[in-house]
Amino acid sequence: MKKFFAVVKHEYRKVVLKWSFLIGTLLLPFLAACFGLVPMFIFSLKGEPTRIVIADPTGRIEPRLKANLSSEIMDARARRAAEESLKDFTPSQDEQMKRTATQFPQRFEFISFDTKGALTNDTRNELNSMIVNGEADAYLLIPANIDSGESAFEFRSRKSGDIVVNEALKDALNDAVRSQRLADANISEDRLKELTHEVKLDSKGIDEKGAERDSGGTLVASFVIALMIYITLAIYGQAIMGAVVEEKETRIAEILFSSARPFELMMGKLVGVGLAGLTQLGIWIASAAVIVSIIALQTDLSSLIGTLPTISPLMIVYFLIFFLLGFFIYASIFALIGSMVTTVQEGGQFAFPPVMLMLIGFYFSFAVVRDPNSSLSFWVSIAPFFAPITMPVRILSEMPPFWQIGLSFVINAIAIAGLIWLASRVYRVGMLMYGKRATIPEVWKWIRQV
Amino acid sequence: MAEQNVTLSVRNVSKRFGDFSAVEDLSFDVRAGRVFGFLGPNGAGKTTTIRMIVGITAPDEGSIDLFGHKISSALQDRIGYLPEERGLYKKMKIVDQLRYFAALKGVSAADTERKMDFWLDRMQLGDWKKKKTTDLSKGMQQKVQFISTVMHDPDLLILDEPFSGLDPINVEFLMDVISEFKTQEKTIIFSTHLMETAEKLCKDILLINKARKVISGSLREVKESYGKNLIALRATGSEAVLADTSLVAKTDVHADETIVHLNNGTDPQLLLRRLIDGGAEISKFEEVEASLNDIFIDKIRGNHDNQG
Repeated sequence: MKKFFAVVKHEYRKVVLKWSFLIGTLLLPFLAACFGLVPMFIFSLKGEPTRIVIADPTGRIEPRLKANLSSEIMDARARRAAEESLKDFTPSQDEQMKRTATQFPQRFEFISFDTKGALTNDTRNELNSMIVNGEADAYLLIPANIDSGESAFEFRSRKSGDIVVNEALKDALNDAVRSQRLADANISEDRLKELTHEVKLDSKGIDEKGAERDSGGTLVASFVIALMIYITLAIYGQAIMGAVVEEKETRIAEILFSSARPFELMMGKLVGVGLAGLTQLGIWIASAAVIVSIIALQTDLSSLIGTLPTISPLMIVYFLIFFLLGFFIYASIFALIGSMVTTVQEGGQFAFPPVMLMLIGFYFSFAVVRDPNSSLSFWVSIAPFFAPITMPVRILSEMPPFWQIGLSFVINAIAIAGLIWLASRVYRVGMLMYGKRATIPEVWKWIRQV
Repeated sequence: MAEQNVTLSVRNVSKRFGDFSAVEDLSFDVRAGRVFGFLGPNGAGKTTTIRMIVGITAPDEGSIDLFGHKISSALQDRIGYLPEERGLYKKMKIVDQLRYFAALKGVSAADTERKMDFWLDRMQLGDWKKKKTTDLSKGMQQKVQFISTVMHDPDLLILDEPFSGLDPINVEFLMDVISEFKTQEKTIIFSTHLMETAEKLCKDILLINKARKVISGSLREVKESYGKNLIALRATGSEAVLADTSLVAKTDVHADETIVHLNNGTDPQLLLRRLIDGGAEISKFEEVEASLNDIFIDKIRGNHDNQG
């Protein structure tokens, strides 16, 4: 056992201390954090408030617009938007939302402007010169006749790139004009609210137990999970093959075999590299959790998170278990191939079948997302070779009954035992055969050899 | 010979790969504290035999006892094996490789550091320990390999062509190290094609060819059994007598003398008398010992002739 652990430690260090591992493990979350958090951070920076001159010859839009940009209204709007995606607000989200809403009106500073009831070119010139002189940042010209669809609202700004402010202003203006038009048509504000109430199309899936689940982001999340498992399996499988071929090519195997049992050596290699893979996945999952929870605190982006399926700690445990099952299945195949061939290049040609199996599993995962309860989904999520990719996807899109997860685990564990048995028999002979690549009949002979 | 003095006992061992017989009914003992020369041409079955001794493969028939026991993982730790086909991890630091190999031999971490430093210094590789294999010359890599073989202080050293790839200075150096092991009562199995080196180092030899034992025993015995039949001769007018196949098996003509191989049982005195009677003028007539090289070539060739 001591030697086994020596091998595990050696193989683990060999993978983990590589630059490619460090870069892959740390750079990915770092990049994700950059792309996710930095824009959010920049947008949350409070710039100078935008000083807007409102030229309103009607005198009726301006008060409505100001009211629409008040903190209470902004808060309510954000809430409505978020409600569609999030069922419950956590206290911290609630708090955050209030803070953002109160901060928002501070972005505007209104400067009153007396149009004397009409808009002329002089007005425009005067407003332009205010901006040129730096007395204001933007102006909004409201046409005298707001009822006509033809009449143009003019907004000119030095800061035309400030999307957040522009959008908010546009929404507030739209609301203000619409309610003014309705008020002109003698429709009361209350009646207006009733009439304009949005239709809510509640699109949620229902699982077997009748519990609702979100379907929006499931496809994306499943794709990401399936791709992540597929890529990690491929990378670590090839890493195993590379390590096996190196020991064969450099004849280190001869020294290793004179020091420890081949089975110990092979298992140590699988476990060591597997732990390295687990380390990488663990770091990825942990950093994803941190990034997502930071984003969730920001109302601006919370609607994005809301569409993602909820991932419980139990699910993560299942993912890691199925990753390990997949790893041992494919790693033992790659170890077998590695001990058959003489160079990594030769191994690459033989790697086609296992890579194909992984790819098929990956494609099956789309069928699983579309219909997690079909019999196809059931079979591919318990079948060896495919289950390590398809089962996590199924768990994510809809938690299958526990007995199916258990069955899948047992079937794949049996497959692993068989594959490791085969691989260790090929390994023990193949590692000492130099010169030429083994043929399939030769390998078959090695397997049967006592 | 007392049983405890035998480090390794090979009894009627056979190993076959399909129809090919790699080792056939091979038996020999290796005595403790001696250097044992394991000789034979390429493909004779040396590597297969060594692999069975170190427990990499198991014999199909027969038994191998090491230190009086069947081979086991614990016994493997007492062997230092330097294979003929050898290598190191290409992109790994020398210290990391040595640590790994030591760990596989069950050496504790503290012992490893101490022994590693000792051997690296001894091999003049102290400055190279943090370097990767690819930065080292072939000779340096050989020395690193040798360190990994001896670092765990094995009781039995198996060295398969340890000098290949080394320059004469390093050969000399390694010979000294090996001689030191000899004085520490370690057993050394030494496999080589270089008969001169074997002659210098080995007390006992075993020669195998085509999977079978050809000759074995102490170097002294083996040579004595040959020596009587060789004459170094410098003479003129000896041709007629030397052509007599009832006396002479063959002759090797060297620059200034002729090595005469007498037939088995021929008395050198008889040859001398015949030469004088034949009117030859003799300036040198000396009974010489066969070199190991002669014995090797003679035995292997004879082996082929018998079968051919």
